[in-house]
Parts: sequence; C-alpha cells; structure tokens
Amino acid sequence: MPDFEPIVGRYLHLNEGGRDYRIYLEEAGQGIPLLCLHTAAGDSRQYRHLLCDPEVTGRFRVIAFDLPWHGRSNPPDGWWLERYRLTTQSYVAMVRSVWRALGLERPVVLGCSMGGAVVLQIAASHQDELRGIVGLESAAFAPGRDNKLLWHPAINGGEMVACYTYGLNAPDSPEAARRENWWYYAQSGPGVYQGDVHFYSVDWDGRAEIARIDSSRCRVSLLTGEYDYSCTPEMTQAAADAIPGCRFTVMKGIGHFPMVENYPLLRSYLLPELERMVG
Amino acid sequence: MPFPDLRWIEGFRDRVNADPEMAVIGDWFTVPIALTFGATRYVLTLERGQIAGIAHPPRLHDRAAFGFRAPHHVWHRFIGPNPPPLYHDFFAMLMRVPEFVLEGDSLIAMQHARALHRMMNLMQGSEGANA
Repeated sequence: MPDFEPIVGRYLHLNEGGRDYRIYLEEAGQGIPLLCLHTAAGDSRQYRHLLCDPEVTGRFRVIAFDLPWHGRSNPPDGWWLERYRLTTQSYVAMVRSVWRALGLERPVVLGCSMGGAVVLQIAASHQDELRGIVGLESAAFAPGRDNKLLWHPAINGGEMVACYTYGLNAPDSPEAARRENWWYYAQSGPGVYQGDVHFYSVDWDGRAEIARIDSSRCRVSLLTGEYDYSCTPEMTQAAADAIPGCRFTVMKGIGHFPMVENYPLLRSYLLPELERMVG
Repeated sequence: MPFPDLRWIEGFRDRVNADPEMAVIGDWFTVPIALTFGATRYVLTLERGQIAGIAHPPRLHDRAAFGFRAPHHVWHRFIGPNPPPLYHDFFAMLMRVPEFVLEGDSLIAMQHARALHRMMNLMQGSEGANA
C-alpha cells in the first residue's frame, strides 16, 4: 500500500469582486468546519501537521487554502499589470468567498500571523455566522514589518523574506521544522510578502473593531508564542483585553509559526481550545 | 579586558570557516563587515564565506560595507545561552532592540541576508567559548 497522508488537495473556482480565481485547498477529516488561514507569503502546507492529526480530524473538517498569489493559487488574470497589495477588505472578502463557495456552516476560522489578525476582523463582522475563531499570533495592530528591501531588484527576494522571518521561530523549535518554513517562504512570489505585509503592518488596525466581538456568540481563543517578536505576547494581550470572554494563552518555547515550527508543542495548547469550540 | 578579546573572535572565525552550511551558501559572501561591541571594534574580511582577515583595532584603511553595533549587555544576551525573546535573532533585535544598530549600507547587508544570517547565528551559544 502507498504511504499516503489523509490530506486531499483540490482546486476550487470562484468569482470574487468580479474576478475569477482558481483556488487551491487541502482538506482532511469530518465534522465541524475548521477553516485555516496561512501566514504572509505562506501557503496551506503550513497546516500539514494539523491536517494529519486524527484527534483533530476526527471531529473537524479541516480545510486550508492558498490565498491568490500564494502556493498553488494563481494570481488573477492581468496580475502583471498590478502591484499585489492585500487589504483588510480584500482579505476578508476572499475568506468569505471560499467559505461561501464551500457551503461551510458556522465554521471555526483559525489563522496565524496575518491570518491571526484577520480572524479578529472576521469575528467582528460575521460573528453570528461563526462558531468561533482561533487566533495564532493575533494582533489588532501590528506596525513595523514593512520595508522596501523585501522586494528589490538587487536582492534575492526569496532568501530575503525567508531569512527575515526565520528568527520569528523560537530558537529551541526543531531545526528541521524551522528550515521547512524557511523553504516555504523562499518559494513565495516576487513582492508577495511585501504585499501581505501591506495588510498586516500598514492597512490593518482592528483596535476599534474588535470591541464589537461578542464572545458569548462567537468564541475567541488566542495563542501567542513567547518568542514572537512580530506579534509579541503583549500585543495579543492588548487585543484580548478588548474582547470580554476571550481566552489568551502565551505559548512557552514557541515563536510566530507554531503549526510549522513545533506542532507537537502547539497541539498541547490548541486541543483544549478546539475542545472549547466543540462544546 | 575588552570584550570580546581577539581569541574569542578567532574562535568565532574558526566556527564560521568550518561550517558545512556556509560551504554551501557562501560562494558570494565576499564583503568587509564591522562588529562593534561597546567600544571594541573589529572589521572582518569575508571572502567566499570564509573569514579571511580580522582587523583589530581597525585602522583608517580597514573599510567596512556595513556592520552591527550594540552595547555589551545586548551582545551578551544574543550570544549567551538561552537568549531571551527579542534577543534571539539579529532581525529580532533590529526590530525591537533600539540599541542594536545596523550601520553602513543596509542594501549590501541584505544582499548577503542568507550567509550573513548564518554567520551571526554561529555566534550564538559561543559566549564562553574560545574555540
């Protein structure tokens, strides 16, 4: 027998904002929809361990998709005539579009980094349609990650963004896992990380919006690694303080990429939060 | 005794020059780099991923394209055992530790991002090591 993983990959066609997209997604499991959002310049491969965890897939239909311009989701037609820039509005719209196209009923939306930021906005805007959100490395306001050398003709952009983000891992996370995320980042398209950071560090400011989240209707769990210097524990604490009923835990020995850099350790923090989403 | 002394820098040189990863990625890593620990300054001459020269104290003709400068207490956190959050990576310090400064031409520094990052990571855990 071939040694297959349980992950199944498929392509989904949808129209968002008048443009056609071909979206790649991976899924495994059955049950409550758990829609997973990758990091800036990342893709759905970052969730490969979660997708292969039978304790999760036994109760959740885990779905991870690549945003357009990322992984195996192409940019839309005419991409060569535009500068890629993710915004809060376009990001929420794309997540909603995938969610609707798949017909997900009251999903849990889990995101990391920029995905961890946008889940706060999604909870603020669509809380009656959600079971809950899990924010990994979530901040309502995260300036400081943008710079013009992330996309420069005299610099190898893949190596640049991979190194720029490598230190966001905790130093004691397994080296092979940290290097795996380095490899994913090195494969991001030219200017994609900078375009994502435009959302994360320039456009995104959810500090007022998150006060609208009613955690009695939409459960909110936030988990942040102690070594995350992009979204520090203090930054997540500030978001948590604005959302009554939110649960926030600092993850010891973890950095900014918990699902990639140290899934076994993340799991010890994540499973109780997923259990809370089931209840 | 100034920190770090020449013997420590030579130990760091030996780690870099013996590093199997640098042997893979260092072909284009040819650039003079300044490292300044408080008032103690070195200029390292990198040639194809190898530290080929150490100038201490650097003289007028010991040019550097870029460098890192920080007070001793910042360097100790970076190179000591179990570096604390924000001090565990030079990019982290550039973002969150104002006393850690990239001086010189940041474009040249980032052209060497991968090898430079590797070299600096090899400095970690070496505080007490002289070889």
